[in-house]
Amino acid sequence: MNFCVCIKQVPDVAAPITLHGGELVTDAGRVVLNAYDASAVEAALVLTEAHGGEVDVVLIGPEKATETVRKALAMGATRGTHLVVDSSSSLDSSAVAALLAEHLAERAYDAVLTGKQAQDTDAGLGGAMLAERLGLPYVTNAVGIEQEGNALVVTRQGDAGQERIVLPTPCLVTCSNDMNDPRIPSLKGIMAAKKKEIVAVAVAAVPPSATRTLAYEALPTRPPGEMLRGEPAEIAAKLVAVLDL
Amino acid sequence: MAKAAFNTDDAFLFEQMLGEEDRLIMQSARDFCQETLEPLALEGNQDEVFHDHIPKALAEMGLLGATIPEEYGGMGASDTAYGLIARELERVDSGYRSFASVQSSLVMYPIYTFGTEEQRQRFLPKLASADLIGCFGLTEPNHGSDPGSMVTTATPVDGGFVLNGAKMWITSSPMADVAVVWAKVKGGDDDGVIRGFLVEKDFKGYSAPKTHNKMSLRASITGEIVLDECFVPTENVFPEIRGLKGPFSCLNSARYGIAWGAVGAAEDCYQRARRYVGERKQFGLPLAATQLIQTKLANMLTDITAMQLLAWRLGNLKDTGQLHPSMVSLAKRHNVGTALDIARIARDMLGGNGITGEYRVIHHMVNLESVNTYEGTYDIHGLILGREITGIQAFTALG
Repeated sequence: MNFCVCIKQVPDVAAPITLHGGELVTDAGRVVLNAYDASAVEAALVLTEAHGGEVDVVLIGPEKATETVRKALAMGATRGTHLVVDSSSSLDSSAVAALLAEHLAERAYDAVLTGKQAQDTDAGLGGAMLAERLGLPYVTNAVGIEQEGNALVVTRQGDAGQERIVLPTPCLVTCSNDMNDPRIPSLKGIMAAKKKEIVAVAVAAVPPSATRTLAYEALPTRPPGEMLRGEPAEIAAKLVAVLDL
Repeated sequence: MAKAAFNTDDAFLFEQMLGEEDRLIMQSARDFCQETLEPLALEGNQDEVFHDHIPKALAEMGLLGATIPEEYGGMGASDTAYGLIARELERVDSGYRSFASVQSSLVMYPIYTFGTEEQRQRFLPKLASADLIGCFGLTEPNHGSDPGSMVTTATPVDGGFVLNGAKMWITSSPMADVAVVWAKVKGGDDDGVIRGFLVEKDFKGYSAPKTHNKMSLRASITGEIVLDECFVPTENVFPEIRGLKGPFSCLNSARYGIAWGAVGAAEDCYQRARRYVGERKQFGLPLAATQLIQTKLANMLTDITAMQLLAWRLGNLKDTGQLHPSMVSLAKRHNVGTALDIARIARDMLGGNGITGEYRVIHHMVNLESVNTYEGTYDIHGLILGREITGIQAFTALG
């Protein structure tokens, strides 16, 4: 099967993120391949290594995000497309899905994979919106994917347990990071990635976003915990009072 | 308009100045070292163990001999990438960086630079894949900073040389398959000249006993090399290189990596101390709320920023062919000396907990004592710089 994996460059969750006047400041932090997307790349690579086929990746982001496309190629993807947008553009899930749909509509893939969400916004909407625009059957929050003939058998983590769903191709799957441990690119992979093709396409007109971010606010600090002391009966009484029962 | 932000790990954003390929290599090395090596380092240090699977794991990632061309099993990576790898290895443990430095800079580098084509083909791919482990014998029991006075001899005989002598403080020697040994020729045309030999572990008269009771670099193996009437055939002799410039060029390459490695050790100490003082409360406040602790952290970050920029620029100079050995002396001396200071202060900031291995800072602290001494001591590099500055050598007393 041939796969296209939609990936995103995001700030490293381990790097410091600060707020200035309601804006997120991430410039000082390291940027990484979204961990959920890394699992999607890994899943596609495992399937093509076992059953044949190729893995393309596509990324929407500013010019500097090429490095993240290169990382996916270093992991083993065949070729990449970088839809270059201005670094100041703010695209919500709807706009991202519209851009990706435009790109994918012209290409025939057996399956489109992506992370179940991006670790910066945690919106988790892009995958479903993209499937809708492409008219593809889809499954979200996959924790396992197998290939059986022309279908994908997807294990999905649902609220009530795991579901196994047979998806005819072409289809779309959003992947959980519980699915696998994405490989760390070796130096050999990084060197090989230099020779792989990345097509950069300047996005002339960014699709309109359906939502607007007004401001970012820091999480409120949690009040300190209170330790109840005394005899058991006394503590129990205090606890009931605290719980307001 | 995005506002500037302050990164408390990389204050002057030196990682932004790296090329894309180097930064990808840095990230891979960091992920690998933290996932694979960090879980081994506590046991490695406490029980004096170098885990058997480490060389192969490093090789599979391409971290051994990364700068060696691909045709010999290397990766053709930049010198900056090599330095970034050293930084990530030493962020975990100087012992792991030492192993990799020896394999890459002290064994693969001389075979690539001074070896015959047959020697390159025979040894380099297997050293890159860790099918062979290498070590480097220059220092002797009575000749450390003054290797020119070495007493290990190589006597020319039919078909090769017979080596006699002993080498000491040799990283990896007890497990090495091949040793790059430097010895002084005794007799013949090259009488008194230092030459390089590839001594294999099954050569008669070669042994490499382990050094016991080390209190530093316990996660890597150190030993001796003993040469007792050890015959080395001509095909295992470096053909052209003569004199100390052979071993010194190897050391220069390894020291370059050490200047980078020290950055990783210092960063780990600083980050562990910073985390600790944020969590540890005394007198009702986190230690981080005190002036004494804050200025210590400020000094550490300032020093680390200087170390990062020094290492980055050194890499840049090496990659562009502008490196002078004294630049390496300056960076090795400064970065290791400073890392040692940072490790000692971090150990102090961790109080009693800093004494235990679980907090890992004390491992860096004792490791850096070795790193400050080997590959040219802090003082010897001071004398190298002193000679550059004044034009007067002061290695031997003039008075």
